[in-house]
Amino acid sequence: MYETFEHTADLGLRVRAADLNGLFAEAARGLVSIIVPNLDDVRLVRRMSFALAGSRHDELLFDWLNEVLYVFESQRVVLAEFDVHVGGEGLEAAARGEPLDPARHQLEHEVKAITYHELKVEPLDGGWLAEVIVDI
Amino acid sequence: MAAATKGYTGPLERVTDYCWRIPKSYKPGMRVDGLIYASESLLELIKADQAPEQVANVAFLPGIQHASLAMPDIHWGYGFCIGGVCATDPAEGGVISPGGVGYDINCGVRLVRSSLTYQEVKPHLTRLVEELFKQVPTGVGRSGKYSFDHRQLRRLMAEGSAWLIERGLAVPGDIEHTEARGRLDGAEPELVSQRALERGKDQCGTLGSGNHFMEVQVVEALFDQAAASAMGLVKDMVCVMIHSGSRGLGYQVCDDALKELRHVPEKYGIALPDRQLACAPVESPEGRRYLGAMRAAANYAWCNRQLLMWQAREVFSTIFNRPWEQLRMNLVYDVAHNIAKFEQHQIGGKTKRVWVHRKGATRAFPPEHPEVPSMYRRIGQPVIIPGDMGRASWVLAGQPGSMQQTFGTACHGAGRVMSRTAAVKHAQGRRIDQELAARGVIARARSWRGLVEEQPDAYKDVDLVVEVVDRAGLARKVARLRPIGVIKG
Repeated sequence: MYETFEHTADLGLRVRAADLNGLFAEAARGLVSIIVPNLDDVRLVRRMSFALAGSRHDELLFDWLNEVLYVFESQRVVLAEFDVHVGGEGLEAAARGEPLDPARHQLEHEVKAITYHELKVEPLDGGWLAEVIVDI
Repeated sequence: MAAATKGYTGPLERVTDYCWRIPKSYKPGMRVDGLIYASESLLELIKADQAPEQVANVAFLPGIQHASLAMPDIHWGYGFCIGGVCATDPAEGGVISPGGVGYDINCGVRLVRSSLTYQEVKPHLTRLVEELFKQVPTGVGRSGKYSFDHRQLRRLMAEGSAWLIERGLAVPGDIEHTEARGRLDGAEPELVSQRALERGKDQCGTLGSGNHFMEVQVVEALFDQAAASAMGLVKDMVCVMIHSGSRGLGYQVCDDALKELRHVPEKYGIALPDRQLACAPVESPEGRRYLGAMRAAANYAWCNRQLLMWQAREVFSTIFNRPWEQLRMNLVYDVAHNIAKFEQHQIGGKTKRVWVHRKGATRAFPPEHPEVPSMYRRIGQPVIIPGDMGRASWVLAGQPGSMQQTFGTACHGAGRVMSRTAAVKHAQGRRIDQELAARGVIARARSWRGLVEEQPDAYKDVDLVVEVVDRAGLARKVARLRPIGVIKG
């Protein structure tokens, strides 16, 4: 699950999941939902795959969210479903979504960037917690 | 809960009625004091979040001079606070920090005047705002009508807004009235990544979202007749104010730099209290690469605001059925408020060249400063301060106190007082556009939530912020402008 939390000029994203794979998938959904809140209306007609290297969980999460943001920014593709496998040396992911359609996709925020400010990925109550602040 | 709800509880010592000190003894590692310019009442708002802590953190940066400074509109940012100023001396191992510039490199504001009065515009105001909203791309996911291939983008970034003259999208007067004449020397467009070029190729001439806007405003009151006259401002005159930056291209340049600098502070033995303060010595390969790319993105931003102004001129021309030249829609001035510049300052009795980081802060050079354009040399550089979309914005003129105290800098806006989520709760579903209409402001936005997050109550009262800057001798009041039309993302 994900939720947004307060940060003066920007928005925080807090994500909880049972495992790292779920955490990274939910974080990506959370990020896209800040841009397009009606994620459930996104058709899953386009498939994309990703592979990223990195061993630190926080930096890997940062890089992963950046990839998802870049796909939206450069190709105007709204991704809504994510299958992520986080390993010791990086991650592999498949994502599905569709090209942006302003007639059906509600557009709420432009996310300028993912920030390192108070970025965290840590175990919590047998599961995982991530917090990231995005620049609006 | 996250630290978002915690206020600052550290020391703040009164220096004057408008200046407060965080002594460098507050945290081991601070190299200089922190100084916050604020009135006592604004200070209470400023203490509500962690912005003062960030002022203290910036004082850790190697080579920092005088003090880590903050303007009265400061609020919590990431790494640096928004409204922060810091100058570093390369000769003393000074660093350059992308976080001290911000993601939106050369975010800034420009003010365009006109020959139209409020009475002339009022009957056409709704149609004018609707047409601006239709013609000027705003909001997320919207491309502009200007598209540049990678080769053209590189020229645009090397040459700045003067490059648009030959394309018929700028006139020489526009360049003369732009900070740095719309071009930072030393831009290295080849250091701007493919990703940044992709994000920027069709966004030059688009407003974006968040706090960016284009407003139709009326000059409501004049406070300095001579300065207003030099700027061509008279009471009841209709103006256009534009607030935007370097769009996706600049965000990506910052992002690329932060990634490159991720482990660079350790490499140079720099200890930082916050990763978002990542930096590199100015005289290092990493520092020089960022500077080359940052300057290129800054030049892109000046082109972006130039193209936004050009589209506003076209719309006014259509609505009022006269060429923009006849409407005398001349640029008063364009200022950057997220930038780092290499400037000469007097520090501790010595003349030094330092890198002044202005993160949500505006250059405010005084009369007779050589970088102030000749038409403003006697009055000081115009300082354009956007407020909120319901109350006011301001034009000030830089004063000698800015050189003595703040590396030639003043505030950049009202500063947020409410988070975006708090603003949505505060609105409780109210129609902000209707409330603004009742106050005589026609507002159009792509996103309902965007408008709610930017509602006037989410900001400090800009009059109070400007009062501090004026009383502290950083910049003096010239004109107060009232919004009558707003378009946003």
